[in-house]
Amino acid sequence: MSAAKSPAPKVVYMNPTGTSGQKMSFAEILKVPRVRERWEKIRRYFFLRESTYDMTNRCNIRCEGCYYYQGDKQFAEESADPEAWSLLFRREKERGITYVVLAGAEPALVPESLQVCYDEISLGSIATNGIKHIPESVGYKIHVSVWGNDETSKKIRGAGDMLIRQMDNYKGDLRAVWVYTFTPGNLEEAYEVVETLAQHDCRVTFNMFSSPVGYNGPLRHTRESRAEARRIMLALMQSYSGHVLFTPYSAVIHTHDLGLHDLFSCPYPRMNPSEAIGLGRSFRQYRTNLQWDRNAACCVPDTDCPDCRHYASGSAVVTARMYRHASDPTVFRSWLDYVDNYLAVWVRDYEKGENLCHDLVEPPPPAN
Amino acid sequence: MEGNVTEAASAASSVEEIQLNVARIMIQEFKLEDVTPENFDVEIDLVDEMGIDSMDMATLALVLQDEYKITIREDDYPNLGTVRLIAQYILSRLG
Repeated sequence: MSAAKSPAPKVVYMNPTGTSGQKMSFAEILKVPRVRERWEKIRRYFFLRESTYDMTNRCNIRCEGCYYYQGDKQFAEESADPEAWSLLFRREKERGITYVVLAGAEPALVPESLQVCYDEISLGSIATNGIKHIPESVGYKIHVSVWGNDETSKKIRGAGDMLIRQMDNYKGDLRAVWVYTFTPGNLEEAYEVVETLAQHDCRVTFNMFSSPVGYNGPLRHTRESRAEARRIMLALMQSYSGHVLFTPYSAVIHTHDLGLHDLFSCPYPRMNPSEAIGLGRSFRQYRTNLQWDRNAACCVPDTDCPDCRHYASGSAVVTARMYRHASDPTVFRSWLDYVDNYLAVWVRDYEKGENLCHDLVEPPPPAN
Repeated sequence: MEGNVTEAASAASSVEEIQLNVARIMIQEFKLEDVTPENFDVEIDLVDEMGIDSMDMATLALVLQDEYKITIREDDYPNLGTVRLIAQYILSRLG
């Protein structure tokens, strides 16, 4: 397609690691009306308390580097009893969980279980390969995974015509967001895939392949592939601003030399022993047998933590570190953009605003 | 309202006064209803009983930092589980 040869972005990002260099109090930062407005918009969602659930250990395709089929969670017995799932989600709701992420292997294969979950907890999202349609009565956001063009998908995922089949299922569906996972082998293909999605009025966000523990195959990113992914993310953001859900800060964070844990100290239980407050206290990752293991609990279990730049991780890890972003006005605007974007990706009917910061801002060091 | 809070902060010299001010800020920030600074239970567990979570705590910490011109360490959030503990912490940082 012609978009595969899309030029570099016309707008030059003037300050590749720019911050204002100003130190301000939180109150001063919030004196700017559009900053205050965005802050009030996003803080209404601070009530979200997430946990994740493997709904089935079956999948209709098998992708190279799939984190689900790493470790022992794939061997957990699958509960197919809707009553058992319903009871679990009732208890989760009582525990204070307000947001569910339903995932692997392929949740679309168990629509009854998805429905009983939705009937208990109405906010959430489903990670799917998009081949099988999920009924509209399950009103969660639907994240449709894309790993390149159809030729690459055939090679990596063993399934043909994936994009066509995904769009047949979800084109025009307000629940759906496509998630393009950048690997070293599909960087340039992002142009044609995003153009196709935009032509069909589908929305897309970006993910970075994050290696499972022990994976050293060709999908593991290098410094060069991350830099190229960043360049392409920024170009696509500009070319398809109405369809690409992303921010300059997202591009910086997710292609940084350091992974999310090294940048921000991951607060998920797997890497955080504290049970006092936040994710360390409330997050659980349930397997298909309805059990969970604190030592393995994070949103992408069995991912190699130093290589984790996963979009799902970032939505929690970066957001949780608000404090570190709140002393410099430029850095705080970047953080607001990041959170505004993640809410648009993960929360149904939430609309992203225009980015407040167009510089590429380096993430702040720990505040203390 | 902000003016009142600032005056209260500058005048604060005891745990009791800081407690009142923290309660006032919490009522304002979290839009709490049916409670006043005077009848706010300073021993109530903010996490278990009030449902305060990490993002609320970070917000509160930022506002209190501005208010008292102190630094509240992220690592200390777990130790700030009640209004009384917050007030004691602030007093120790002011000292």
